[in-house]
This record gives sequence, C-alpha cells and structure tokens, in this order.
Amino acid sequence: MLTAKENMREVIRGGNPDRFVNQYEAIALLFHPYLMTQPLLQKGMENVVNGWGVTQSFPTNAPGAFPVHTPDKIVVKDIEEWKKYVKAPSLKFPQELWDAAKAMYDAVDGTKAYKASFIAPGIFEQCHYLCSIEEALMNYMEYPDEMHDLIKYLTDWELELAEGICSHLHPDAIFHHDDWGSEQNSFLRPSIFEDFFLEPYQQIYRYYKDHGVEFIIHHSDSYCANILPTMVEMGIDVWQGCMKSNDVPELIKKYGGKIAFMGEIDNKQVDFDGWTQDDCTKAAVEAMERCGNKYFIPCITQGGPGSLYAGTYKGIWDAIDRYNCEKFGLKQEDIEAARLPMNIMF
Amino acid sequence: MSIETVNDLVIRGKAKLVPAAVQEALDEGCDATALLDTMIAAMDVVGENFKNGDIFVPEMLISAKAMKKGVEVLKPHLSSGATGALGKVVIGTVAGDLHDIGKNLVAMMIESAGFEIIDLGVDVPVEKFISAAEENPDVKIVAVSALLTTTMPAMEATVAAINAAPWRGNVKVMVGGAPITQEFADKIGADAYTTDAASAAKRAKEFVA
Repeated sequence: MLTAKENMREVIRGGNPDRFVNQYEAIALLFHPYLMTQPLLQKGMENVVNGWGVTQSFPTNAPGAFPVHTPDKIVVKDIEEWKKYVKAPSLKFPQELWDAAKAMYDAVDGTKAYKASFIAPGIFEQCHYLCSIEEALMNYMEYPDEMHDLIKYLTDWELELAEGICSHLHPDAIFHHDDWGSEQNSFLRPSIFEDFFLEPYQQIYRYYKDHGVEFIIHHSDSYCANILPTMVEMGIDVWQGCMKSNDVPELIKKYGGKIAFMGEIDNKQVDFDGWTQDDCTKAAVEAMERCGNKYFIPCITQGGPGSLYAGTYKGIWDAIDRYNCEKFGLKQEDIEAARLPMNIMF
Repeated sequence: MSIETVNDLVIRGKAKLVPAAVQEALDEGCDATALLDTMIAAMDVVGENFKNGDIFVPEMLISAKAMKKGVEVLKPHLSSGATGALGKVVIGTVAGDLHDIGKNLVAMMIESAGFEIIDLGVDVPVEKFISAAEENPDVKIVAVSALLTTTMPAMEATVAAINAAPWRGNVKVMVGGAPITQEFADKIGADAYTTDAASAAKRAKEFVA
C-alpha cells in the first residue's frame, strides 16, 4: 500500500493511485519566519496591523482574518503614489528563527506527507489588502502601469521570501493562497488576469521548482475554469479549492495531466448550522464518483484542513476513508499507518 | 456632445471623460433628466452584460464610477430627489460578516437604477437595520447580505426582526450572498433572493414599478 504522499503523487501524475487522497492528509502545512513573526490573529481580535500596514480583524464566526478598509485604514491612499505608502516588511530573520522553523519541518515524516510551506496572502490578494478590493479592481483598468509596478514590487518581495524558504527549510511542496474569483466567475477578465499575473507567478513558481519543490498547490476557492490555461502556464500542479461551479469532471477530462484538482466539496454543502454526517458522506461520495481518483483529490474547498463548524472536516474525512475501504478493499488501520494523524488547522 | 456619447462612455466606464461629456451635453441644451435616464439605461446594459458574463467586476465598477461622476455634474440641473426618484434602499452585510464587495456591487447597481442608497456597511447588527428603516419611513427596500454559512443565522435574525416590525408591509426585503439560496430566502421570509448585482437592481425596480 502506498503512503499518503506516494498516493498523492500518483493521483497528481495520473499514475496508479491505490485509493482516493483524503483531503489534506498528504500535505503538512508549515510556517516560515515571516508568518511566525506576523501577528497571528485569533478569533475575536480586531484592528490588528500587520507588517505591510494592513489592518485586519477576525470575527468570531468567520473562517479567517479580514482586512479592514474603512477610509482611515486603507494603506494606499492614491495608487499613483503607491511607492509612498507601500513598504515591504523585512525578510531578514535571525538564524535561530530559521532553525525553529526548520525543526518543525524536520518533525514531519516526509515519507507520509509533503512538507509544504504555507504562503498567504498571494499577490492579487495583497493588492486588494493594500488598496481595498474595489479600488484595486478598478486600478487594473484605470491605472494599469501603476498596478504592474506594484505587482512587480510584491513579486520581488515574494521571490526573496522564496529564496529564504528554499535555502533554509527545503520544502518539497508549496501551498500558496490567492483567491482569484467568486463562485460564479473570475474577478478579472482572463486576458487582464494573464497580463498582470502570469509572469509574476511563473517567476515565483519556477523559482520553487528549481529549488527542490516537487508540487505547487495553489488555493483559490472560486470559479477559475476560464483562467485555467493561465494557471497551467504559471506552473501550478494542483488547484485546491475548485468549487462545483467549475464543472470539475469536465476540467479533468480537458486538463488532466497538466494540472490536478483538489476540492469539489463546497463548504456550503456541508459546513453549515445543523450539518449531519449524511451531508458529508453524500458530498464526498458524489465528488469521488463524479471525478474519479486520477488528477482529483476530494477536499473541502476552504484553504486549509478544518471547517467553520466543528466536525465537518472530520465528517468528510471519515466518509472518504469508508469509501476507500469499501471500494479498494483496504483496512482502516492500514490507511492510518500510511499517513500522519489528522490535523485541523482552522 | 450627444446623449448617445454619454451613454457609451458610461457603458465603457470612462469615468475621467464622463463629467466633461455630460457638461458639454448640458451646454448644448440636452435635458438633464434625459441625460440621467440615458445613464440609468447605460447601467442597465452594464448589468445585463455582467449577468451574462460578458463583462467582469472591474468593468462594472468603473461604469458605476463613471455614472456617479456624471450624476455629480448633473445634480445642480435636476429637481431635488430626481437621482433617487425610485425611493430609498437600506443595505448592509449582517453582523459578524466583514465581506463588502458583493454588498457594494448591489448598492452601486441599485443606486445606478435610480434609488437612493443608505449603506450601513458591514458587520451590521439587527438593531441598526431596524433603526435605519425606522428613521427613514419612506424606505422601500431593505437589502441584507451574508457571505458565510456562519452568518446565515444573523441574516435569519435580521429578517425575522424586520418581519416582526409594524412597518413590514411598507418594505420589501431582499437577500443575497454566496451561501444564500432561494430555499433559504423563502424559509426566513424574505421577499426576494437574487444571485447577482444586476438581477438585484432589476428586482428592486420591479418592486417599485
């Protein structure tokens, strides 16, 4: 029987997986000194300013922290003067901090799971964290030169971060957040998305690939089917967060072998007040039967293991395990032995 | 500058050009109300294009911005209240939810359709929705947004409070947001659920027709 990691590799490459990958079972999400030195918002915390000057709050019933964009808290007051407002935080960290991070990587059994550096927010998100989402979206249309320059600045910073991560921590996967759409569409017209983001992400993802990273896993829990060719060109190996609205089975037929898909279980199907195990089982089984186990990983669409309502993630987890046992004649104890214990991040 | 040009510039979201075009059209004798109507019609086209997936959020935003700039020039030439002639709409994202882009798009499209918007912002407690409606007895619609499954109960509580208000018969309640469905809207007693900003504006107009 394959370890969870080996099985995930087979799924992504279209080889011979011996079961479905169970959500994030083969990805150990790990921090790095930049994230370790940033304020870690806990539920209920309000108006915390991070290294970029972005103010964030974490409402108790939200999945994560949100930027606060009241006029006084928007970092970029004028996009034509963005250099005046945007100051990247330093990425020079003491060796002890890198060592502390490396100890976390070393503690993961790399035969069972990928050691994946967690990168968030992405460049598109950082633009709207800094400018507010409406201004950022309008800026792509009205101030394209300034936005290209801002994105170049953010890309250079991310490349410096990548250099530190690769030289000190040696991850074999990257889990990179950047939400590029709503449930119904991409935020940007595909041609505009490509114009602004293809080259920066090609540079960043190529750097990781050239420095020991086997797979780039990119999170966007949204519709992205229309920008998928660009995502493939960027070098993304796994798109985590693909919602049902994308028609994932059709995408697998069209793009399988170029990119793999991780998702198809929308939070709203299972992660609500009054959810039941039946809801989880139904959503998980439907996803597996619709998509098959090549180029596809059934997973809650949110960008990390866990759920808004306690127990939902485990409900899906148990359903996938049961299905794997029944469909592939596996024993639960063997599945457990081939992976790390379940980890809830959110 | 023709009225058609103003219409075209709004559709194309040329916010920097619209004010001068409106001024020129006024100088040439165009009727202010006709200019307002042509911008509203332009936003109808924008809304329809968005709904059909022909344009994307940024294009809709810059069109709304262009119209806003045009209306600023027009305002002194219009009779009082002409820009919000269809009535007042109270809008907000429910308590515990900081999402604003969807709510803002709906607000822009409804405003562009000829309503006056009272935007309560995000993380709006039930009491604030109620007091806003009570302070503005001429409110026609209360629009409530929620983007998280965890804030759907807050939407339910908000709509329940509105439904219990003595003035309920005077307003329509619209709901929307990613996790919201028609079934949920029916269950909580809302009058309308729409899936996108353009449909919301269209439905709002139908309510006051």
